Amino acid sequence: MDSPPFLRMSGVRKRYGGVTALDGADFEADAGTVHAVLGPNGSGKSTLLKVLTGVVGPDAGEVRLRGEPLRPRGPRDTLAAGVASVYQELSLVEDFTVLDNLLLGVEPTRFGLRDRRAATARALPWLERFAPAFGGRVPVRERVGDLDPGERQVVEVCKALVRDPQVLVLDEATASLRRGQVEVLFEVVTDLRERGVLVLFITHRLAEIFSVCDRATVMRNGTDVATVTVADTPERELVELMSGQPQARSSAAPARQAALRTAPDTAGAAAPAVGADPSAPPRLEVRELTGDRLDGVSLHVRAGEVLGLGGLQGQGQSELMAALFGSGRRTGGTVLLNGAPVRPRSPKQAVRAGFCYVPGNRGGQGLALGRPILENFALPSVGRRAALGVALSRRREVAAARSVAERINTRYGSLDDPVSTLSGGNQQKIVVGKWFPTEPSVVLMDDPAKGIDVGAKAEMFEVVAELAASGAAVIVGSSDDRELVEVCDRVLVMFEGRVVDEVFGDRLTEDTLIASAMHITGADVAAAHSGDAAAELPEPDHDPEARAPGPDHGPEEGGA
Amino acid sequence: MTTTIPSIPLRRLAKDPVVISGAVTLLLWGAASLYSPAFATWGHIVTTLTVASFLGVIAIGQTLVIIAGGEGIDLSVGAAATLSAIVASRFMNGSDDGLFFAVLAALASACVIGVVNAIGVLVFRVPPLVMTLGMIAVVAGFIRLYTGGRPEGSAAPLLNQLVTGDTVLGIPGVLWLWLGLSVLVIWLLRRTSYGWRLYAVGANRTTAYLSGVNPSAVKFSAYVLSSLFAGVGGLLLLGYTQNVYTNLGADYMLNSVAAAVIGGTALVGGVGGYLGTIIGAILLTVLSALLRTMQIGGGEWGDAPRQILFGLVLIIVLTAYGRQKRLRG
Amino acid sequence: MNLLRSPGTADLPSPVRSVLSVRMPTVAVGLLLLVTVVASAVLQPGFFSPYGLSASFATFLPLATIAAAQTIIVLGGGIDLSIGTVVTLSSAVSVVLMQGDDGRLPLALAAGLATGAACGLFNGLVVAVLRLQPIVATFATSSVFGGLALLVLPTPGGQAAPVLTGTYRMVLLLYVPIPAILLLALFLGWRLLRGTRFGQHLYAVGGNADAAYTSAVPVSAVRVLSYTLGGLVAALAGVALLADAGAGDPTLGTQLTLGSIAALVIGGTRLRGGSGGVGGALVGAVVLSLIQGLVFFAGVPTNAREFVYGCIIIAAIALAGLLTNRNGSAAGTTGGNR
Repeated sequence: MDSPPFLRMSGVRKRYGGVTALDGADFEADAGTVHAVLGPNGSGKSTLLKVLTGVVGPDAGEVRLRGEPLRPRGPRDTLAAGVASVYQELSLVEDFTVLDNLLLGVEPTRFGLRDRRAATARALPWLERFAPAFGGRVPVRERVGDLDPGERQVVEVCKALVRDPQVLVLDEATASLRRGQVEVLFEVVTDLRERGVLVLFITHRLAEIFSVCDRATVMRNGTDVATVTVADTPERELVELMSGQPQARSSAAPARQAALRTAPDTAGAAAPAVGADPSAPPRLEVRELTGDRLDGVSLHVRAGEVLGLGGLQGQGQSELMAALFGSGRRTGGTVLLNGAPVRPRSPKQAVRAGFCYVPGNRGGQGLALGRPILENFALPSVGRRAALGVALSRRREVAAARSVAERINTRYGSLDDPVSTLSGGNQQKIVVGKWFPTEPSVVLMDDPAKGIDVGAKAEMFEVVAELAASGAAVIVGSSDDRELVEVCDRVLVMFEGRVVDEVFGDRLTEDTLIASAMHITGADVAAAHSGDAAAELPEPDHDPEARAPGPDHGPEEGGA
Repeated sequence: MTTTIPSIPLRRLAKDPVVISGAVTLLLWGAASLYSPAFATWGHIVTTLTVASFLGVIAIGQTLVIIAGGEGIDLSVGAAATLSAIVASRFMNGSDDGLFFAVLAALASACVIGVVNAIGVLVFRVPPLVMTLGMIAVVAGFIRLYTGGRPEGSAAPLLNQLVTGDTVLGIPGVLWLWLGLSVLVIWLLRRTSYGWRLYAVGANRTTAYLSGVNPSAVKFSAYVLSSLFAGVGGLLLLGYTQNVYTNLGADYMLNSVAAAVIGGTALVGGVGGYLGTIIGAILLTVLSALLRTMQIGGGEWGDAPRQILFGLVLIIVLTAYGRQKRLRG
Repeated sequence: MNLLRSPGTADLPSPVRSVLSVRMPTVAVGLLLLVTVVASAVLQPGFFSPYGLSASFATFLPLATIAAAQTIIVLGGGIDLSIGTVVTLSSAVSVVLMQGDDGRLPLALAAGLATGAACGLFNGLVVAVLRLQPIVATFATSSVFGGLALLVLPTPGGQAAPVLTGTYRMVLLLYVPIPAILLLALFLGWRLLRGTRFGQHLYAVGGNADAAYTSAVPVSAVRVLSYTLGGLVAALAGVALLADAGAGDPTLGTQLTLGSIAALVIGGTRLRGGSGGVGGALVGAVVLSLIQGLVFFAGVPTNAREFVYGCIIIAAIALAGLLTNRNGSAAGTTGGNR
């Protein structure tokens, strides 16, 4: 350690109002490495890297790059110093073409005017390199707003690369990528490492860390806990470093499963496990539902049952829920609720019929972030408690909110604080909890645990169990197979707008789900479609090169 | 909302727009009283508040529309007020006979403006700013068509009596009415399901929609209420001035927006309340009165210096808190 | 997942969708132009005569120029409610310095343009540096500029230099009026600006300021510059107004602001910024002026003219809005809080 490290951040502090995001964090990394930054939500890892990229101004601390102090006043300065980043919230202008986005801020000019030829020359190699991630095309002149979320994320990556960075920050860059896209990205990352670029990598997926990273720094409570060499560190140790406690949760999961399965019995509802009482009428039955991305979906859920929707991402799971909830298009088919056909044309009608919907995008769809916790709790049911449907009593509202908050174990300062002051996990619990007073008979959850950390996730699923226990039929869509295995009684695997497999009982394991979802991407769609017997299922393709983008080694590793 | 809770720390109070604008108002009033002691007299205070009440009532709907979000703004409130006053004065024609019918016709005509605004914004997706701007031209055109350029009639004596006559405690009826409407609106926003839905739609339309609220219905009602209250304001103005002219309400177009924003209602939606707007309306009126009393303007310079100072003070007041977030965290 | 995406063009291949979404407003405003021109040619005697053309373009140019100024500001994510008062203030400064004397023309024009740019700079600083909401901030500055205009020129009057008014009415090559050439020059100037980095950054800041900021675009500088340029172009409009009317009028303010916003919306510029262009706004302004003429020539009774004009404008705006917002609205409903 004679020469100074390539990148060194020391004593970095940052407070947002009353919340400490970074509390004297130190960080070092070398050129030519891929360095992971890990930690639960709110551990400060994103803030740390935003300080590096100049998007966030630190309250204290120092950043040195190649031994030189770096005091950026904004992203302009860091880009000039060779730091480029790929953000969680994309930094793309939707109205611009891909080419214009790639060169935004660094447009080459000739005689004072933008030079399109030079721009193309600079951007094209990267787009060509990533062509497989765009389904084989090179979308130079396409509007970014017309690309799908995965493709936009790839554009974001190319945009950083066009800037020829010495340090590349990938902040959750793989979260919305498909498996093939991740492969291309990792190839490029490996090339960059060869060329001496430092790649900083934030991800929730441990598998990705083990496949590309050399070093890893674990963050917790706004400070760095440890920096390790990935190859020498067992997964379990990393997880322990992140959670700050030995793996005690492994025993909790089965207990919760048990609670899930027994609870409905106590409620006197229909049998929870599939097959236990096939004669019980389903709470919700869907027959040949068609609509956007839905090509004839049929399913049924009983009261107290938790049904999972699995498969690859974007196979119609979200659209199915939207169609059921009246917010998406529905062109045909029947939906029976307690045997009676329902056809809600808006969420309002769906709520009245007994549906509720929990989106994964809590900031955008689940909460009114600037409004008080109280109002967020009250929103779906506020009319029911009002006198004459209008006049509210504050005492009654507070009592209603308190009782729900207690049931779902939410911690808050005051009910009058904006909901944005809560942690992500507590926010998500409110997104679910706000439906309790409406006593829903069908609960639709679309990736309800997206972007919340391990502990919050566990509590979140206790809330799901609670809902099922109270006699609701629960449908959970998730991109995380482990989640589905933990929380569901039965999982339907979807592919291209159809249900192609049903997994329950002993077959309900992560491996089966992955195999079922992956297998279908091959040529034998029809075969998989026709067969729902377990015997027909082929061996899971365990191609070591091709790792599934799904967190098949999620941070809650330990039990399975 | 925060002001209702007794136990909030001082730091937060010092950042509350309602508190700041209240303090600025008192400051301006104090300065005015020092300059001209007449300012501190009861009669002067009542007059100032009376003048503020017209802006205050017209700004009720403006506040609702802005809270409802989606770039919501209603620039046609001035036009709605004018139309309402012109229709009413024609039906009243200086007598009390047709008072009830005249008020009904006036408010109905104002509501039509709100309905058209709402349809334009919600069905044709015209940006609210443009839609309501366009409505000004349409309403002005309609008024010309309706009156032939010379509005006729005058206020019913009863209306005039209600607005300017001393009723209780030497306070004119219009102030009691404003007080009543204020209580009603603040209750509507804070303690009704409608109010909570309005805030939710403004703060996050998608969330509200997915929580079983019909955002279009909420916004529709906000635009109609906006024109309705502007119509009420127009009637009060008619009672005050007794005669009408074609740009009676023109000044209220942007002043109502300014009153709401000074009071802490942010143009992004979902934030603010009517209490702030009341103070904003009083602040603007006191400022105007102060500049007039100081004899800035008038004489050889005409109205100009008053306008200039008014704009500059407005910028200074807004700088205290009406600012947008920084790009850098 | 995006729950609320409206169907419509979603099934088309994306290059086609790209073309559709970009071209739709252009097609719409083009059609409007065609309809109004044909109607004018039918209803308005001598519309295509040299004199008719000259008179028409003379009325187009001031509004078109103001619309261009407003568009530059709106594209960058702002709005300028003071633009009308900037026009009147700068033309008041010019006309007072001119005093009907050709020799003082250059000085007077320079002072007028400088005034406009200074007003724009002031607006830009208030919006970008003090970070006030543009609508209220420029409302406040409009009071300031309007007051200043009244100080400089208390009543309508003054006298423009004869050279200015004379040149403005000239017709070249029998058929090409000077204002038409100026309109073309305005458009070419815009295309040149659009080709620069600033032009690109203007769209980026209006389209997504946060993205622009993280991409090293100097967002505040772009905003200040957009207001300053807007003020400068507004001052040009003041000159055109002066040349057309021969005298100054300090009270026109609000009317001009309304016209500029209507023109740019009809021209397909998105009020939220980042999409559209000056070309559309110029055509929008021409369409607006033509409609005004049409209402006159179609024999609408005097008292009904304003009303009919207002209704047509609203209809045109609604039509333009319907076509322009098809993509924007889908994003708007899912965008939630901005």
